[in-house]
Amino acid sequence: NLMGARLAGSHVDTQEPKINPLVSISDEPETLYKRLSLLVKGHDKAVLDSYEYFAVLAAKELGISVEKVDKPPKTIERFTLLKSVHIYKKHRVQYEMRTHYLCLELKYLTGSTAAVYLEYVQRNLPEGVAMEVKKTKIERIPEHIKKPVWDTLPQVEEAEVKS
Amino acid sequence: TPLSPQARAARVRVGKGDKPVTYEQAHPPHYIAHRKGWLSLHTGNLHGEAGAAERAVEDSFLRRFMYGTFPGLLADEVVLKRRGNLLVVCALLSRALPPSKIYFLVGYTETLLSHFYKCPVRLELQTVPARVVYKYL
Repeated sequence: NLMGARLAGSHVDTQEPKINPLVSISDEPETLYKRLSLLVKGHDKAVLDSYEYFAVLAAKELGISVEKVDKPPKTIERFTLLKSVHIYKKHRVQYEMRTHYLCLELKYLTGSTAAVYLEYVQRNLPEGVAMEVKKTKIERIPEHIKKPVWDTLPQVEEAEVKS
Repeated sequence: TPLSPQARAARVRVGKGDKPVTYEQAHPPHYIAHRKGWLSLHTGNLHGEAGAAERAVEDSFLRRFMYGTFPGLLADEVVLKRRGNLLVVCALLSRALPPSKIYFLVGYTETLLSHFYKCPVRLELQTVPARVVYKYL
């Protein structure tokens, strides 16, 4: 009797599949992305280089194909101010702000893969670095565009044309 | 009085050789991104990003606050990092105060600044036996 009571709560004979509470399975179809474009901006080129290594490694580990890694040229924003508080117009000071860019393009992702990758990569974004994400979605052609309109219209009677 | 043709910004002038100067103080501002790094890291100054002025005001307040709450203890400039909502204040202290007092000051700054700026503020400290001298000017 005691043996039966002890085995009642144990999982020895039940073989239920273990459900991970963090993974959710839904019936709606996955959104598909043709391209995921990440533009990363920063002041320090070394920081962007190390971030590129990190992002490419993360994509490879998750099995995402990297289309290309582009490095657009830097933009320099310069302005010239007066050096002194009062007069001395001929003496000026020049400041500049350099922004380096890094463009990562990943192709053919599902919605959940994109969500996981973006969350991981954005949580580890270094300070002083900004990111812009552009997603290109693939959708089915809507039903009303599939056939050309002139095929679906009812045939115009010839009597109307003569009059 | 006529002006001197040399620039005077963020430069420590050469003296008799008895003035200890840290690496940060020794390099004039044209060495930023070459030999120096940035003291405050945020996205306000990037091309196409907004909020630079607000960050600058917050930075100046934070530096004065740190200078006041740790009187005489700061070994070098305070480094401010912003990751999303989180503000990380990195400071280098000397070992003049006992650790219990430093823990109190850390808790005080973190809670006060979090309530003031409505964002999580984290203080990361490192203690140094004395100021790290780069050269004597």
